Amino acid sequence: MKISLNWVGDYVDISDLSAEKIAELLSLHTAEVEGIESFGEGIRDVVVGHVVQCGQHPAADKLSLTMVEYGGEEPVPVVCGAPNVREGQKIAFAPVGSKLPGDLKIKKAKLRGEVSRGMICSERELEISEEHDGILELHQDAPVGERLIDFLGMKDSVLELDNKSLTHRPDLWGHYGFARELSVILNRPLSPLDLDVAWPRQEGSWKISLSDIEGCPQYGATEIDLGGIPGQAPTWMRNRLQAVEQRPVNDIVDITNYVLLEIGQPTHAFDASTLRGHAIEVRAAQEGESFTTLDEVERKLESDDLVISDGERAVALAGVMGGLDTEVTHNTTRILLESAVFHGTRIRRTAQRLALRSEASTRFEKSLDPAYTQQATARFCKLLLDIRPAAKVLSAPQVEGHSVAPEIVLQLDPVRTSELLGIEMDRPAMTGILENLGFSVEDQGQELAVTVPSWRATKDVSLAIDLVEEIGRIHGYNRIQAKPLNAPVAVPVQQPLRLLGRKLLARLVQSHGAFETQSYSFLDNNWADSLGLGRQDFVCIANPVHSEVELMRRDPIPSLLEQAVGNLRENPAGRLCELAKGYEPIAGELQPRERCWLAVVEWAGKDTPREGYESLFARLRGVSQDLMRSLDLLDKLRTSPVQPETPMPTWAHPVQSLEYHVGETLLGRSCRVHPRLQAAMEFDRADVGVLLLDLEALAKVAEQAEPKFHEPSKFPGIKVDIALALPEAVPYDEVVGAIRKFGGKFLDSLELFDVYTGPGLEEGQRSLAFRSLLRSPERTLSDKEERKFLKKMEQVAIELGGNLRS
Amino acid sequence: MRDRLEALCRDGIAAVAEAQSADALQDVEVQLLGRNGALTAQLKGLGKLSAEERPAAGKLANEVKQTLQKALEDRRAAIEKAELEEDLAGRGVDPTMPGAPMPVGGVHPVMAVARELEDLFGSMGYVVWDGPEIETEAHNFDNLNIPGDHPARESHDTIWMEDTPEDGRLCLRTHTSPVQVRALKQFGAPLRVVAPGRVFRQEAQDATHEHTFHQMEGLVVDKGIGVPHMLHAMNSMLEGIFGRKLETRLRPGFFPFVEPGFELDARCPFCKQGCKVCKGTTWIELMPGGLVHPNVLCAAGVDPETYSGFAFGLGLSRMAMLRYGIHDIRWMMSGDLRFLEQFSA
Ligand SMILES: [Zn+2]
Repeated sequence: MKISLNWVGDYVDISDLSAEKIAELLSLHTAEVEGIESFGEGIRDVVVGHVVQCGQHPAADKLSLTMVEYGGEEPVPVVCGAPNVREGQKIAFAPVGSKLPGDLKIKKAKLRGEVSRGMICSERELEISEEHDGILELHQDAPVGERLIDFLGMKDSVLELDNKSLTHRPDLWGHYGFARELSVILNRPLSPLDLDVAWPRQEGSWKISLSDIEGCPQYGATEIDLGGIPGQAPTWMRNRLQAVEQRPVNDIVDITNYVLLEIGQPTHAFDASTLRGHAIEVRAAQEGESFTTLDEVERKLESDDLVISDGERAVALAGVMGGLDTEVTHNTTRILLESAVFHGTRIRRTAQRLALRSEASTRFEKSLDPAYTQQATARFCKLLLDIRPAAKVLSAPQVEGHSVAPEIVLQLDPVRTSELLGIEMDRPAMTGILENLGFSVEDQGQELAVTVPSWRATKDVSLAIDLVEEIGRIHGYNRIQAKPLNAPVAVPVQQPLRLLGRKLLARLVQSHGAFETQSYSFLDNNWADSLGLGRQDFVCIANPVHSEVELMRRDPIPSLLEQAVGNLRENPAGRLCELAKGYEPIAGELQPRERCWLAVVEWAGKDTPREGYESLFARLRGVSQDLMRSLDLLDKLRTSPVQPETPMPTWAHPVQSLEYHVGETLLGRSCRVHPRLQAAMEFDRADVGVLLLDLEALAKVAEQAEPKFHEPSKFPGIKVDIALALPEAVPYDEVVGAIRKFGGKFLDSLELFDVYTGPGLEEGQRSLAFRSLLRSPERTLSDKEERKFLKKMEQVAIELGGNLRS
Repeated sequence: MRDRLEALCRDGIAAVAEAQSADALQDVEVQLLGRNGALTAQLKGLGKLSAEERPAAGKLANEVKQTLQKALEDRRAAIEKAELEEDLAGRGVDPTMPGAPMPVGGVHPVMAVARELEDLFGSMGYVVWDGPEIETEAHNFDNLNIPGDHPARESHDTIWMEDTPEDGRLCLRTHTSPVQVRALKQFGAPLRVVAPGRVFRQEAQDATHEHTFHQMEGLVVDKGIGVPHMLHAMNSMLEGIFGRKLETRLRPGFFPFVEPGFELDARCPFCKQGCKVCKGTTWIELMPGGLVHPNVLCAAGVDPETYSGFAFGLGLSRMAMLRYGIHDIRWMMSGDLRFLEQFSA
């Protein structure tokens, strides 16, 4: 919202303060000022000129050749194309070197051979109005050489307020509210609104009926004879409206806008002659009823909308916009002025649905003080009669229904107020602030009984704490000194999942070169199919941000795969990880289950080996093991290929997939991503693998981990290298299991160091070479133990269908 | 015998002198003095000599051994010296060659800010707490004193879940504030808690708008809590983020779940005279907060006559943008390594 400081100055003296200072005061005490504009700045160079000579241009019929005097210097020659330029006129003159709106710079020019040193301006060129039929003619008294903005009283500073910081203050939607605020902040007197109208004795004869009392509890109508057709509003009023970016239309419309911007109460003027029934009915719209608003658009209405009818047809969309048929036109001579109370939320819903938010609806939706309606009617009539002495109010305002702000009396404890705000302030000072704001205060000894003024009682102030705010902000929040809390007395509780997640993530980032990412919680609907699931398996969004992106992800793998694909072009290899939530609907429960996941995605070029330490599959297994080790779970960890009968996510490769268990608890899985999904996602020149860990499951088993120190043996061990040539079908896991089982109690560590197939082996055989370490905690071992071990290994090899290579 | 020993000595010294490296010298030593070396072979011959000849030959053999050992030692010292000199001369070494590649990773900038603040507030006795992202309308709105007809509830602001009953609608939480009531219900008063997390708004994306972003909520409820305590907590938070004290100011702000409500501005950390970030004002609006509204305390089962509290909310995504100079919020959720790689662990 824009606030003209000239306008505010009508009611409180701020003439000694800069616009910047006022902006700061309002920001610190009332509401956020987002900017300051200087109205009239665009035409600051334009001055009052005097056409001292005017003749025909020798070479062009439609041009005049004039001499213009504009103060100080000699008169200058100016070529002018306006039909209404005449000798002796006072005009708005832009001399050479001046600037006009639209970045137009006036230069010396030659027009059809004649020199022109300046420009005589039309209203449109000055951006005063759309008028462009001729030049702007100023009053004969205009002093030559005076700046036009000074002569027209246009110079003004305009503050732009953040509307969001005003939503709770229905009293701040007009200039008068800001005048009141400034009067309190500055502790200066506030002048009252001039509402002095001599109402006629005559009662109004309109039949007003309110059939939707919730929507419209009170409706006021006043019939006025304009004493002629609408004209132009006076310059001062047009300046004010333009300063706050309200386009002037004609004096009648302009006055309704002026009242709206001054008090905050919207009014509406109907052309009384177009109302057919001499009646006003405020009712709910019929479902499907159509209505043409004055922007000439036909609107389909719903039963929640509120319309004004003249007994025969709808004539206005209440609180939002008037109708085309009944608006004030250039022929109107008699109006019916509406000033009513409408239901804020319903007005908002209608305006929003029809995308018709107007100055009026924005204000009605704030729940205005009903008392504004009478003020607005009086203010309108006062201004109208001042501007148009021939106008006549035909009857006293007719008011149907009755609405007042609730009467609210609050008990305020001054001691607690000081404590909450952290300021020292005595009772009279608190009382003073509240009274200046319009509250009435009765000191009851212990507490203050505070009555809320009607303009703050509709929505805004309803509890004692609201008064604490009033006292604090006027006193100045900026004067409050920070103070630390008392020292904590206990170690705060921690959420184990959060700690676990942080620990594992730090390890991934610091030891494994993973980059932590954040990905969206939503999935494209097509993912349901890709994941082999149905829509019912997901929590779904009713109003998604992007259409067809309605699924809440169950785990972060799909989103991470999408991010991996997005990276391929710039980064052919990479590793991303994310701590994220997944969402699963639970039958019979209102809230879905939210699971915490740690997910890793790794991709690399297509030439990455499928097997061996360089393969994604092996690397992710290595990462998993290291993470488990960091939780002291390695001893208990069971890593197993997925059994054909166990359910498996569709993103997992059917063979290159591993499950991680401790006891019966499934902790997660790692795998190469299913080649079909890779192809569908266009992982063209890459291979990709993922790791997914369930943090809740991990936290459960990690709690039971028992890290223990094992005293290293003082005796040296014997390193024995063994190579077993076995059928390829025997899995590594089985081989290691057998070695461990039969290796005897001295077998300490066992490490695979070579896998070989080829010459020297039988068809279908592979050789697994291990470095083993035999060691005893009690003595140095001898050749005897080594021979015994080798013999066992030979048996193992034969048992597994192969032989021990020497 | 004598001749052979002398020849051995002569040849040995020559061989030692010829050895160019420690390894070669080692080989020469083995050949001369090793278990199967030349001198051992000669010593075996001693047995064949007569008793008269033996002492002289033995003495000579011993002298030869000592001579050779001395030669070996000298040569070894010379070689070591030469090798050290060679090493120090650094011939063929380019000290500007790159370091060996180590695994590098990085933390997401928003998470980095979040975790630093978790630790900071943890050290001041705050619980770090988490709440659901799919939240009930009651927790996200009703309990926070947000009126039933408030526009924030409408579908152009809030993302709602499908198929939930009218009286128990679910939405994606639009702020971390629901954790206020959840934590109070869990722990009761007094309480200090911060709640970082992901929040969602129905928002078209552009450089400054995202539908998914991160916030951190702070809440303290105790006896005698007032605005000065809130101001201190907010200042501490900013100090944690920017690594130094910033001048701040409080001004009015409106949020239904606090009363009075505030906006905290800080002196722009990027300029003295006004810049793009502060839009020329030298102040930047950083954090909303306020005293917890009595209705919120009531919703959480805390008596507002006995207790009071403050709450504040911090846009973690925005703070990370300010701290690292990120001008487009869309990078945050992009997963683009060119972005993520710029933030260390
Ligand atoms: Zn700045």
